Amino acid sequence: MSAGSQPLGRLERHLGRLLIAGVVVSAALLAAGLGLWLAAPGHSATIWLLNAGLIALMGTPIMRVFVSFAEYVRLRDWLFAGLTVVVLAELALTVVVALSRR
Amino acid sequence: MPAVTPALVAIVMAAGVLAGSLGALLGIGGGVFLVPFLNAVLGIDFKVAAAISLVTVIATSSAVSAGTAGRNLINLRLGMVLEVASAAGGVAAATTVAYVSDLALERGFAVVAALTAILMLSQLERRNVILDTSLDPGVLGGGFYDEESGANVIYRVKRLPAALAVSFVAGNVSAAFGIGGGILKVPALNAWCGVPIRAAAATSSLMIGVTAVASVPIQYAHGFVPPPLAAAAVLGVLLGSRAGLWFGGRARAKWLKLLMAVVLATVSIVYLRRSL
Repeated sequence: MSAGSQPLGRLERHLGRLLIAGVVVSAALLAAGLGLWLAAPGHSATIWLLNAGLIALMGTPIMRVFVSFAEYVRLRDWLFAGLTVVVLAELALTVVVALSRR
Repeated sequence: MPAVTPALVAIVMAAGVLAGSLGALLGIGGGVFLVPFLNAVLGIDFKVAAAISLVTVIATSSAVSAGTAGRNLINLRLGMVLEVASAAGGVAAATTVAYVSDLALERGFAVVAALTAILMLSQLERRNVILDTSLDPGVLGGGFYDEESGANVIYRVKRLPAALAVSFVAGNVSAAFGIGGGILKVPALNAWCGVPIRAAAATSSLMIGVTAVASVPIQYAHGFVPPPLAAAAVLGVLLGSRAGLWFGGRARAKWLKLLMAVVLATVSIVYLRRSL
């Protein structure tokens, strides 16, 4: 069996918990923001809650790549640790392009 | 572009529930239904409809992957390799799509949907199941317990360059049309690369989140993501995807493929007629 086919069950379980936490947090923030938007139009906290929910939503897959990187480093699987760094660099590029347009 | 009213928010949330349940059922995200509904039915600009849908794709990806994690269906290594290509495709399209006309996007959407429907129909009987458990899956292959055949399934990944190319294009398609990109990756991984359809769908579901995040921030910066509508769509899709995932474990792969093909053909016809 090659080094690359080591089971990743531990990582898969970690990622499952991370993803569900991200979904719960972002859904709670979006529901609160949307509820406030309906109940009190123009309230200053509305846009903050909605944006925080969207950022938590977008942050979840990014955190997933970070956690994967840590696990590949722990397994000394340098090829896949390197690949996660490439993906993180691509996501960082998107955020830089987005911020430069604001 | 209609005004963002409580009524519109409610309609968008209901559409999200339906799109989310169908999307999770098919393993392709809900966008392929949500974009045509937001755009063709509600009159929301195509780029805004696509961006709202892409935000829900992130939620679908996280929710569906959390549900399938632990069953060995998600191929984490293959997913990470292909995300290098799909995220690059997402960034590339997000930086250019603002300068493409809605008509061109609608035509492209029709073509992509039609090609994928044809591919699905041509692969109905292919199973990619190797019942030899001594097979070495290699660095990128995998194995899982298949409920349908009641056996352990082991597979190798063939034609990785083809999978990378399709993933890059899926990243383009994801950013341009807001549909996740699973409609390209799942059939391609299944038909060309030897990945069983459930493993292909689970891996694609995980990938579409990162792929979407590679373009949504840029679309947000362009003003294509109205927060109340995005929130309503996300909450609806999350509710719907729970129902779809429940049905997905009980549907047979052949019916899943047939259903996907019919849905894609319908969407394609609607958009071809609109853009002519």
